[in-house]
Amino acid sequence: MDTPSVHSHKLRQQYPQKHNHYKFSDFFQFNASTGTIADWNGSRNILTSEDFIIGLLEGLEEEVGAASAAVMYSIGLEWGKQDSLFFDQWFEREYNISPQQANLMFLLETWWWPFTAQGWGRWEIDMADRTQGFMFINLFDSAVARTLGDVGKPVCYLYAGLFAGFFTEMVRKQLSCIEIQCYSMGETYCKFLLGAKERIDAAAFWLNEGATASDIENRLRSGDSL
Amino acid sequence: MLSQLQTLVREVDGRYATDAELMFLQNYLKTARLRFSAYQKIQKAEKDIIQQVKSKIKATEPQLLRHGKVDLSVKWQRDAVRGLRYCAHALLVADEAGLEEGFLLWFQSIMRSFKAQPSCNITYKVMQDVVRQHLTPQEAELFCPILSQARRLLGQ
Repeated sequence: MDTPSVHSHKLRQQYPQKHNHYKFSDFFQFNASTGTIADWNGSRNILTSEDFIIGLLEGLEEEVGAASAAVMYSIGLEWGKQDSLFFDQWFEREYNISPQQANLMFLLETWWWPFTAQGWGRWEIDMADRTQGFMFINLFDSAVARTLGDVGKPVCYLYAGLFAGFFTEMVRKQLSCIEIQCYSMGETYCKFLLGAKERIDAAAFWLNEGATASDIENRLRSGDSL
Repeated sequence: MLSQLQTLVREVDGRYATDAELMFLQNYLKTARLRFSAYQKIQKAEKDIIQQVKSKIKATEPQLLRHGKVDLSVKWQRDAVRGLRYCAHALLVADEAGLEEGFLLWFQSIMRSFKAQPSCNITYKVMQDVVRQHLTPQEAELFCPILSQARRLLGQ
């Protein structure tokens, strides 16, 4: 088990208050003597190929069949929860304020930047319906969907779990997430719906019935439920 | 230029670079003197440039430096200084791509999260007018497109 250490990143040591540190050469530090890659926040990183992602997903599907989607979601969920705690630490260390004191959008953008730097894609959050208890996340360049290509179904379960886990921990309320539009369905970007379990179950049902992302958006905004 | 230099080092491995591949260096050398002098002028005049931009905004769009009763001018000034310095650095090393990757894309997401695009739009527009007073036309010709790039990315 690798112990993250912020002291291992030389540029960070030199410029601890530098916030725009997401350029590839700034964010990652390649430690040739140990054969490791550390990022700005001290996390251990590994580089993987698209073959690795395909191997992971297909291997899992071969082992557990249709349950692989739920397994990927669960992995993402745990990852998101743990990352939320890790984020609290590095956010406070870098900005000298607690996450609770920060502007919400600024906080979320800051959380996602390391993921962007690591190749997980850029995102856009639509919080217009937050008071209704749900929100949408648009993801551009999903590493999973980009790798698998157009397979005619949503594939970004890992991301859905990650968002559910992170936001659950952040707002201290059980939240679920579902991908309602995916690059792997021939769309130009992926779209996720985040909210309480009953809302996500309803969206999953509508999706199975053939509803599109905009159908689901309209139904949720008009207050439809199962 | 720095980004292009890195690409050159990576691409030209075990062979000599072609004339076409070296063209960016020729272009840089042609403008290097202007870049150095402009950079030094901006460095010396930073305080004046920022004050002049602030005064112009205060005179024409005072609401951009306030949010309700909160005075945002200190925060604005910190951001404007930071933006000017990164743009000046991009001018010095002729690296607009590096400016975008290393600063503007990140700053864009931060400015959007505070809904500060209107403020950035005006700031980098006015800044172009102000720096023209401190630079020769040839120097401004090199620097204003960089400020314009910042305006395009941060102001929308």
